[in-house]
Amino acid sequence: MAKYRYGILFTLLLLTMVAVLIGNIFIGSADISIKEILFGKAYEETVYNILFRIRLPRVLGACILGGALALSGYLLQTFFHNPIAGPFILGISSGAKLIVAIVMIFSASLYFRISSAFMIVSAFLGSMVTLVLVLIISRKVRNTALLVVVGVMIGYICSAVTDFIVTFADDSDIVNLRNWSMGSFSGMTMENVGVMAVVVFLCLVMTFLLAKPISVYQLGENYALNLGVNVKALKVWLIVLSGMFSACVTAFAGPVSFVGIAVPHIIKAIFKTAKPLILIPACFMGGSIFCMVCDMIARTVFSPTELSISTVTAIFGSPVVIWVMLRKKKGQF
Amino acid sequence: MLLQTDNLTVGYDGRAVIQDICLNVNKGEIVTLIGANGSGKSTILKTIAGYLEKICGSIFFMEKELAYFSRKEKAERFSVMLTEKIRTELMSCREVVETGRYPYTDYFGRLSQTDRQAVDEAIQLVDIESFADKDFSQISDGQRQRVLLAKAICQQPDILILDEPTSYLDIHHKIRFLEVIRKLATEKQMAVLISMHELDFAEKISDYTVAVKDGKVVHYGRPCDIFTDENIRILFDIPKELYDKYF
Repeated sequence: MAKYRYGILFTLLLLTMVAVLIGNIFIGSADISIKEILFGKAYEETVYNILFRIRLPRVLGACILGGALALSGYLLQTFFHNPIAGPFILGISSGAKLIVAIVMIFSASLYFRISSAFMIVSAFLGSMVTLVLVLIISRKVRNTALLVVVGVMIGYICSAVTDFIVTFADDSDIVNLRNWSMGSFSGMTMENVGVMAVVVFLCLVMTFLLAKPISVYQLGENYALNLGVNVKALKVWLIVLSGMFSACVTAFAGPVSFVGIAVPHIIKAIFKTAKPLILIPACFMGGSIFCMVCDMIARTVFSPTELSISTVTAIFGSPVVIWVMLRKKKGQF
Repeated sequence: MLLQTDNLTVGYDGRAVIQDICLNVNKGEIVTLIGANGSGKSTILKTIAGYLEKICGSIFFMEKELAYFSRKEKAERFSVMLTEKIRTELMSCREVVETGRYPYTDYFGRLSQTDRQAVDEAIQLVDIESFADKDFSQISDGQRQRVLLAKAICQQPDILILDEPTSYLDIHHKIRFLEVIRKLATEKQMAVLISMHELDFAEKISDYTVAVKDGKVVHYGRPCDIFTDENIRILFDIPKELYDKYF
């Protein structure tokens, strides 16, 4: 019975994903109809460029990074046993942003271009530094609400420092930096997509391998300990993987808010289960759809002006957080 | 001898709470720990369960130092139920019981036929069939304790370690809970190490009793020798006139 349900839901998710992906390629400020494409117009250079050089990498980026964000949030919520944890709200995205901004400006001043992989590494370092900081403070204050406050504050500090740096480093080389530091999927290239696909795929495989220990860790640390879980190692893996996922996002799209918190809850409400083996792929797909839809809205609603992605994700994501808090108060957690 | 501690000292962060504990638990025996709140009963249980580092002394399991057992081996032999509440979200009682099979399932945690049988058996044994498919977060405390006991049972351990499992149960559920424990010890030859506050029940259920006070084991032996008015009065610091008034 439950198996059929999961099958149907996964099929629906997959279909939605494909539909949104295709929709994203054909909808945009340059009006290209499907008819035109089918009748050979796709081979004209400008149309080809718009479709396959601009829109395709962008939607693929939103697809992969959206999934990564949702999983980053899922892993952090598991780690902290806190339903409102996520890479953005805990300041991890902002920490990654700060380090990436510094690296970008530094490399621009030395006149060399940094590779995608190097961007991910610096974002990962930034994520880890902030996460460790949040962890140290959270050990002192064993309180879920305070943890979030600490994260938000650290996020603000990092953002402020980034803004400061960006303002004073107004160089033509870093013209993209301002756009990026607000969060945006624009300017994605196929090379970027290739790199992020490899990194996210590897992390996804690792996450699947943790499904079994996560299934009992979520009941409590001592509970997992008694069942033979190496809790210390598991916790390190949770942190490293969630850091990697969110680093990937920040390196390519800047900080994106609320996807990490909101999507796991939406998915849990739809699937009505806590089994990691179901939730991991479902969160990934849900995050993909969420980000692709938000990105479509960001670039079409006021086109040709683009909204920053976080503006849109916040509008849809923050009500979910409020809903979670209300449910929590009723003691449903 | 299944479990044996030899001059075991337990505590937190290197500070001793209870010193020189020597106790034995055999197959099919129920050993109860009694003592005032904060006397360190939980600390002893947590150390034996492996949640806390021991400070000095030894813990032997089947004549072998406990430290030599792997995580998996320990999980297959020790089942622990602590006072801390577990967090569940969207999990039925049956799913909670199934987590007890963790040490035995494959890499992705899929249940085999044997696993399912063990789960069903445990559910029957503690008599929770009627609400096995309900959400764990929506049942009463007494029912929860029984679900967790079923989880501990289907883990198929040699020894059950229970920290005040009956504290929040009404008298009916207390008795039913202890009946199951007795049955496990007698029929399945499980060893049980249990801490509790209900002295009347402790006296009746235990094969051996350990009384803890002021950082040491003050009494250890058969319940009939330990549960005397004088011993209990001193163990819990109750003035004589109050003791006579209430007991």
